[in-house]
Amino acid sequence: MVTVFECEDTLDGIFTAVYDAWASRLGHSAVRLQVRGADTMQLFAVYRSVVADGSKAERVARTIQNRMGGETFEKICQAAMAKDADKADAIYRVLVLGLSRGVSERDAKQVIWQLQDPNVCHVFELSRKVGHEAHRYMGFVRFRELENGVLFSEISSEHHVLSLIGDHFANRFPQENFLIWNRGCGDCLVHRADGVWFIVLDPPSELGKAMQLSEKEEEMQRLWKGFCQSISIRERENRALQRQMLPYRFQKWMTEGLVS
Amino acid sequence: MRIAAGQSLYEKLNILSDAAKYDVACTSSGTDRRGSGQGIGNCIAPGICHSFSADGRCISLLKILFTNECVFDCKYCINRASNDVERAAFTPDEVCTLTMEFYRRNYIEGLFLSSGVLRNPAYTMELLTATLYKLRTEHHFEGYIHVKVIPGAPQELVSRIGFLADRVSINLELPTAESLRLLAPHKTRRRILSPMRQVQTLRSENKQELVQYRSAPRFVPAGQSTQMIIGATPENDYQILSVAESLYQKFELKRVFYSAFVQVTEDPLLPALPGGPPLLREHRLYQADWLLRFYQFQADELLSEQHPNFNVFLDPKCDWALSHLEQFPVEVGSADYRTLLRVPGIGPRSAQRIVRARRMGRLDYETLRKMGVVLKRAVYFITCNGRQMYPLRMDEDFILRNLLGSGDHGRPAETVTYRQLSLFDDLQPERVLQAL
Repeated sequence: MVTVFECEDTLDGIFTAVYDAWASRLGHSAVRLQVRGADTMQLFAVYRSVVADGSKAERVARTIQNRMGGETFEKICQAAMAKDADKADAIYRVLVLGLSRGVSERDAKQVIWQLQDPNVCHVFELSRKVGHEAHRYMGFVRFRELENGVLFSEISSEHHVLSLIGDHFANRFPQENFLIWNRGCGDCLVHRADGVWFIVLDPPSELGKAMQLSEKEEEMQRLWKGFCQSISIRERENRALQRQMLPYRFQKWMTEGLVS
Repeated sequence: MRIAAGQSLYEKLNILSDAAKYDVACTSSGTDRRGSGQGIGNCIAPGICHSFSADGRCISLLKILFTNECVFDCKYCINRASNDVERAAFTPDEVCTLTMEFYRRNYIEGLFLSSGVLRNPAYTMELLTATLYKLRTEHHFEGYIHVKVIPGAPQELVSRIGFLADRVSINLELPTAESLRLLAPHKTRRRILSPMRQVQTLRSENKQELVQYRSAPRFVPAGQSTQMIIGATPENDYQILSVAESLYQKFELKRVFYSAFVQVTEDPLLPALPGGPPLLREHRLYQADWLLRFYQFQADELLSEQHPNFNVFLDPKCDWALSHLEQFPVEVGSADYRTLLRVPGIGPRSAQRIVRARRMGRLDYETLRKMGVVLKRAVYFITCNGRQMYPLRMDEDFILRNLLGSGDHGRPAETVTYRQLSLFDDLQPERVLQAL
């Protein structure tokens, strides 16, 4: 009988489930990890609901960093941000490979490159996808300035990218108040001009309504749209390439995407 | 010269971005700089693309000319003195406003500032320097700045602007001195190469300084680049690639850009290109440029006096591999990194993954595919655990036929036994090139 550890879809949730599953001493083959709401239920399985626990998650995180190295830790965190039904279990299996008794220190740091293993390959792949999407949003986020000087942006990402781009934008605009509302995942990044940033998981749905744009906002948008058109070389026009590099799902939320 | 009175900022931006668009470089890579917290902006090493224009090119920087007035009369250039176009000029404050407001909204990664030559090179350079100085000190802008050096600008201005910009570039424009003399009478090879050499020297001195004082100001941290126009003059690919190679080796350039010639002015000295700009040729040169920079190839290996142009139908790496079949197949389980890099369908990333993964266990074709190896191309050139994926002949004609007949993802067609037309022998690539 398999015991399924069901956790919430956050880094803390997944790491807590890793901790509980490992500590349950049921044996690695007798446990499965699953994020809540990701999959249909299994017959002939016992379900245990895991409550995210900051201190357990912290211990798991520290162990991964110490034993498996910063590179691996970063990849696992990115994979945990993916929209994927099997990610929690795949991460658990990778940790089993790296943290089991008898694995040498040197091998533990190399586990993430053992791409022959389907679970490692899956985590590696997820991390790559999530990292790629986060990198794209570093460029594709568009702010508009509100009356009160706050910069407001809406995106709709597939994966949970906000925690991955938060540091970048906070460092880039240290003296700005800004919001990035991710409609795709239903969370919102908030940055205050004093340098604090955090993610609100369930932002109020009226967010964005009744917002007045600042006086010069419209003019700036006009200038930018004009620039995007005049910078293109007519003799080289290639809409297919443009769409390939900047798919519609991004354009929809971008200032210049609304023009053409 | 037409200068409309009272142009709005919108009109100026329109004219001066339109005039700047033939410059290719829009990269924001090469600098890793965290924001200080006191101003606005930072840089990350891989650079960031912020948008893509209708021609599919990346928009990363606010690419503008300071002014499109120009005393030079380069035949290929839309802003040449003798061309009748509407002229405009920004003020330093206007450039700063646009940069800051666009940057705040995350439209751009920074500023790309070039200019026509107003009065003389020194005066123009002075204006550019003043603008950047304002942007860095008054507006505390810490984002990316790429600035053009005007050929003939005095040395002290070059060394000053290098401390304000992340990247500088001086356009080589044309691959040979003769072509330059013909099409750009106001520019000489020496006036282009001497600032390039100066930037190189100052950069290496600055590196020494940074070893001693970590907080010393950084000179052109993202390195310098240049650009050549392709197809306006009769140089072949071999000449162009050799020039690029020597720029990388002797001048330590970060990038050489190739710009397919777009006919924007009429001149008897310019070629007529009824088929539009030579985009495919430009593409092949970029592919070859990648081979020089990331795949440890040399120009001499890819082209020669006897074979001076790239094959239109095959990318340079496949082309090279096909003419060096004696070096294949390569065993992925044991070949060194450098050898793996030479296999079509394997790039630096997948080669690195192969090298690291095979220490942990055996590889198979499915794993290779997941690692990012393009098996459609690689399959002819590799063995895995001593076996080919399918029984395949190491035969040039056979492989060529299958590489060109791409699109079918299954087994290569083995049934065709008669000898098909060879692109190399029956159609000379040069003739095909001309026909395109």
